[in-house]
Amino acid sequence: MSPVVNVVNEPAVNAVNAVNGAVNAGDARLADPRAAAVEGHNSFGQLRGRLVDAAAAFAADSATLAEILAGLVDDVAWALDERLEIFPVCHHSPASALAMARRLREKRPKVIYLELCEDLRPLLGELRNCSLPVALQAFAHELTGFPAGSGPLSVIAPITEASAEYQAIAYALETPGVELVLVDWSADHLFQWENRRRPAAGPSTDDGAGPAPADAADPERDGDQPALHGDAVGVEIGDLRPRFAELEEFLLRHGRVRHWSEWWDQYVEQPLAGADHDTYRQAMALVGSLFRRLRPSDDDGRHARDEARERHMWTRIREHLASSGVDPADCLHVCGAFHAVSRVPEFGAPAPAADAASTAVDPVPAPEPALPAASAAVQPAAPGPPAPGAAEAGHEIPPVTGTRWLYGLIPSSHSAIEAQFGLAGGSVSIAAATWAKAVARTGVAPFRLSGQRGAAKGARPAKSRAATRSGAGPVGGTSRPAEGAERLSGFLESPPALDGIDEDELLGWSVDIVRLARRNGYLASTADAIAVFESSILLAGMRNRARPTPYDFQDAAVTCIEKDVVPGRRDVRRLCEILLGGDRVGQVGYDALPPLARDVHDRLAPLGLDLSKRTVQRALLDLTANPELAPCSHLLWMLRYLLPDGAVRPILGVRRLGERSPQESWDLAIGRHQRVLIELGYEAVTVEQALEQRLRRAAWAPDATAAGALAAVEDAVTFLDSRRLADELGARAVELLTSERTVDDAPEVLRRIRRLLDHYRVSEPTLPAWCEQFVTRGYAHYCTLLPIAFAAEDTTVRQVASMLGFLLTLENLALALGCDRAQLELAVRQSHPEEPARTALLWAAQTRLGQLSMAELRARCDGLLANPLVIPAFPRYLAGFVQALEPVPTLAPFVVEVISKAFARLPDHVLLPWLPTLIRTLRDHAAEHVPTLVREAGRTFPAGLADLDAWTAPWSAPAAPPGQAATGPGGAWAAARPVVAGPLTDLLVGHPATTDALAALLDLETEWPSSTGAGRADQADPVAGSDNVAGPDSEATALLDRFPTTAAAVAALIGR
Amino acid sequence: MTAEQLRAPAEAKYAEELDWLESVDDGPKPFSWRLSPRMVRLFVLGSQRSDGLDRQIDQKWFGDTSLVERAIVTLASDRGLLLIGDPGTGKSWLAELLAAAISRDSTLVVQGTAGTTEDHIKYSWNVSMVIAKGQSRESMIPSPIMTAMERGVIGRFEELTRSTSDVQDALISILSEKYVSIPELDSDNVVFARPGFSIIATANSRDRGVNDLSSALKRRFNFVRIPVVTNKRSEADIVRFRTAELLRRHQIELDVPPTLLDILLQSFADLRGAAASATSDDEKLESALSTAEQIGVLEDAILHSQFFGERVLRAGTLAGSLVGSLARRSPEDLAILNKYLHTVVEPRGKSDGGLWPDFLEGGRQAIAALS
Repeated sequence: MSPVVNVVNEPAVNAVNAVNGAVNAGDARLADPRAAAVEGHNSFGQLRGRLVDAAAAFAADSATLAEILAGLVDDVAWALDERLEIFPVCHHSPASALAMARRLREKRPKVIYLELCEDLRPLLGELRNCSLPVALQAFAHELTGFPAGSGPLSVIAPITEASAEYQAIAYALETPGVELVLVDWSADHLFQWENRRRPAAGPSTDDGAGPAPADAADPERDGDQPALHGDAVGVEIGDLRPRFAELEEFLLRHGRVRHWSEWWDQYVEQPLAGADHDTYRQAMALVGSLFRRLRPSDDDGRHARDEARERHMWTRIREHLASSGVDPADCLHVCGAFHAVSRVPEFGAPAPAADAASTAVDPVPAPEPALPAASAAVQPAAPGPPAPGAAEAGHEIPPVTGTRWLYGLIPSSHSAIEAQFGLAGGSVSIAAATWAKAVARTGVAPFRLSGQRGAAKGARPAKSRAATRSGAGPVGGTSRPAEGAERLSGFLESPPALDGIDEDELLGWSVDIVRLARRNGYLASTADAIAVFESSILLAGMRNRARPTPYDFQDAAVTCIEKDVVPGRRDVRRLCEILLGGDRVGQVGYDALPPLARDVHDRLAPLGLDLSKRTVQRALLDLTANPELAPCSHLLWMLRYLLPDGAVRPILGVRRLGERSPQESWDLAIGRHQRVLIELGYEAVTVEQALEQRLRRAAWAPDATAAGALAAVEDAVTFLDSRRLADELGARAVELLTSERTVDDAPEVLRRIRRLLDHYRVSEPTLPAWCEQFVTRGYAHYCTLLPIAFAAEDTTVRQVASMLGFLLTLENLALALGCDRAQLELAVRQSHPEEPARTALLWAAQTRLGQLSMAELRARCDGLLANPLVIPAFPRYLAGFVQALEPVPTLAPFVVEVISKAFARLPDHVLLPWLPTLIRTLRDHAAEHVPTLVREAGRTFPAGLADLDAWTAPWSAPAAPPGQAATGPGGAWAAARPVVAGPLTDLLVGHPATTDALAALLDLETEWPSSTGAGRADQADPVAGSDNVAGPDSEATALLDRFPTTAAAVAALIGR
Repeated sequence: MTAEQLRAPAEAKYAEELDWLESVDDGPKPFSWRLSPRMVRLFVLGSQRSDGLDRQIDQKWFGDTSLVERAIVTLASDRGLLLIGDPGTGKSWLAELLAAAISRDSTLVVQGTAGTTEDHIKYSWNVSMVIAKGQSRESMIPSPIMTAMERGVIGRFEELTRSTSDVQDALISILSEKYVSIPELDSDNVVFARPGFSIIATANSRDRGVNDLSSALKRRFNFVRIPVVTNKRSEADIVRFRTAELLRRHQIELDVPPTLLDILLQSFADLRGAAASATSDDEKLESALSTAEQIGVLEDAILHSQFFGERVLRAGTLAGSLVGSLARRSPEDLAILNKYLHTVVEPRGKSDGGLWPDFLEGGRQAIAALS
């Protein structure tokens, strides 16, 4: 506990004691009938005096308490004395909504000033196209004037039917001649303030916004509804909650309730549900004043922010009054109760000249300038405010930044509101149910926007019953005193006139919860229904309630029904919430959607599905039978890319580079993910545009990589089929590759560029220029980095193998485009790895480049196996050879040979621990390496058991006669590849000019075998023998013999 | 509490308070309850100024108010009450307080064990008297539960899930029909429960599955789950309350400085956090680190200071006691405590100072002695 709060505690507690005690049971002194008898005229002076006397009589530090109590009454009088009627509200309060509806019907104001972001005004008309609850949203991702990286910025203001703000909006929009003016900070102003206050941190989430406190965090809530608001900052009208934990705890403890929502319901909501306008207004102003005065001094700048907002609101109101010339008496200012008792200098409508003198002698005592030092933390009202209207508005509203704000409506839900604003689970649902019931009971006709979709059932006034119910009348009797009379005394003196027990309702709940529990796997029976009913009444009695509240019922149900906690099963508390109204999820109607979302709906219309449904729907697309569905398929793939998992999910069918499915099956839940579709609409006008922007953003992001840019190219080709964009992104990939200093993404780069090259080779006559550049630059880039990568410890073998793969498998193309092979040869010669796996990789590369013969390689490996000192490291060499399959696929027979030798010769204590590593390596690269190895093993080993006895491993067979292998000046490579006989050799030997010319071009010497048939394929080295060698006995020869026409034609063509 | 009693039951310990509450209680009382439900709640949870009582009633059980209310309401209904929770969460204490407040007798207790038989729940016979006089009500030994039935008061059943299922099921008829028949007798062979009878059972949630309750028995109990106290303030209240009681019992005049209490609470919170993030059993202490264990550590330290120390509680003594109480396995627990002292306490001692360096030193010595 901070020292500040310690200080605050005592006077705060005293004050709350007094107020709470009075609200609870009626303070003995206040309840004195003689004291009550002197009440009754339009003055707060008497109440003030009595409270001061009470403080003197009961409190130890009476001066402090007296100041606070008197200040509360002064605040109420201050707010009520304002010419422009202030209507204090609390968010999601049915009592506020009821009082608002009544007041609007009675007063018929011409202008309503509403505490809501001023820039959201154009959205309000769209509310009628939506099913509530929905949230008004301001969204910005292109920021100007805010710190880089702080975006996207999002502000949401949820609107529920059971709220005073909706009543005001509906009245204003449905009544001709009524103007609705939003006066609170714009979204831009809100973030400007946050930015100034906490430049390093993210946006603040208070004022009823942000992460939920403990009582709202409920991981077991169903579905994704609590996340409907994303990470937006929430704003609501009338956030009314104690500002320091001790006060709230005190109220909860004394109120015998568990959480704030329950306290509010019991001590404010219910007593005010049927109250008349004056009582409602005064009581709400009193509560607002209480929380305003009892707050910690160190409130993280919240009070300063509240005051800044109040100054803004009143400045806007004054501006509007001045420009429109409307009489303040015809206006209504709807704001949170906390703001109703504001003392900012701008407060109040400007007084007319004739009234100026009278306001100067206002009977309301000026608020106390300061409290004694001991209670410094309890903030008095702003010091020395002028009389209403007397102050010159000195507040200058800062200009908005250049940030481009986008506006829209997104669906909301009760649970999302609860989660964001830290309300107890189910409280908004219960408020909605209370609203429906109160409307039916009191007969108040609520305002609704015409054409409003998804009207809540039951929220219909019951006029016939209204007049007969005592609860519908004003609190404190049926005779109505003069407007503006002091009603607080009556409110504080008498306990709330609550309804008696509604047995039918409770019985219905008890029976229904048992039924619901059974459906959810609980062993509940009629006996439990009886027990729940009985326990609810007993609990209510123990908590001083004549009538069980939904919370009592919830407790009783948990006690009687919940015996086990089974993970994954809904708990009884949640079932109660469902029973009492459940979570209600709003929906934004088609007409209120942004163009992109409407476009998606239009383009998917051929599917014949109702996409507004919140259920998952299956779409079957047979593109062969119904080619007209191809655009839908195309759009779905784009949405799949753009929207989160679950919104559109392919069940059958793939879309990859150059690959399309003739049939597709999709699970669509666009209705459930309406928010993300709407937010996508803020990015662009069409899905294609949004996709293009996303791809560009990915390629030009500060942390973009060449692999990422290549992925963007692939996506551009796959989804947009846009050569222009692909070229642009490809050029960016080239740029990124050459600027990269690491080879972390080498495997990904190799995989993607290979795929793209394959695609372009089959689909285009020539390669795009960027592809050629990528290969040539990549060749030079990886050549440069190769020696470092071989030596660097933080580079993996896989990465080095991928670099080599790029250099060796794309070599032909690179050389054709002008690269120099000497660069690669030099790079390999410069590489001196120490680690065995890399060494093996280097040997493989040298073999491929002709720097090392197969015989030498085999001798090295045999030497390793023969050396007991290095045998433990042999598996690591093998790992290197397995990785070498990627850059040097022709090494496969040798890898099979080495693995076979390893299995044959390695001792168990080395072999066995290594096996899991081998399996893991092979599994990681299953797609590339395993088929090669298995195919090669199949060729090497006998197919049947019977052949095994007679089988000799090719590497164990006696070596071919030395004369059969070419040992000319072709070098080691030529030596490693004995010349074999066959038509190809015959052809080349018969017509050597081309080969000679090529050799001359490559600066190689040529030497031709003296005769054909120098070697036979079946005697050849298995390494060489695996490539394109067709002996006279081969199937190819037989085929040519049977069908000689083609060969004869070719022979005739080449003049042989 | 009389001098001969090491630990007086709640009704004796708070007899004066209960008498006073009964004298001012004007609320409706169910059955034969001695106090109305609201007064029972007041007795257990303590009074507030707003309750308007002339004297202060101390809080005796610390936890969620609604749990207590639910428990009381259950006892006023037709069902038994089953308190479930981890060891050291105060189930038995709550049961004792409720029984004391409602019927002024919390001693009608059956302790559930693997050896509990049906006789312990219903009745047994005085064999000598049966041989001498035959079977009669006189030679019958009623169980505490049967006594509670006869008197219309609260009976208690501790550790219900430790007893075997067939024994548990003996409760079914008691809770349903509210009588026990004695077939051995020809007459007067049914004992009917008088109004006000109910059962408070407790069960350890860590024993779940050992002898799980049958569905029939579950139906006859309302379950109230007592959570582990994680709120530091509540925990401090509990430790303070129980320690004061112990000091009174041992007649020790010793102050527990608030800073030392903070150190104890903080160290348990640290160790709980470490246990929560441990990935294997070897990385966390064997101890459940419950509030009851905190009280045990403090009591141990107090007694040590009183009888072997300077009659002043020191941080070093507290650390020694903590190590001694929590190190059950060697070397695993000792290693964890050693790591805790050197990676958490030592830096904190350097940055915050206060009593932490003494605490560290005491812990080091204790570990060295045990190693």
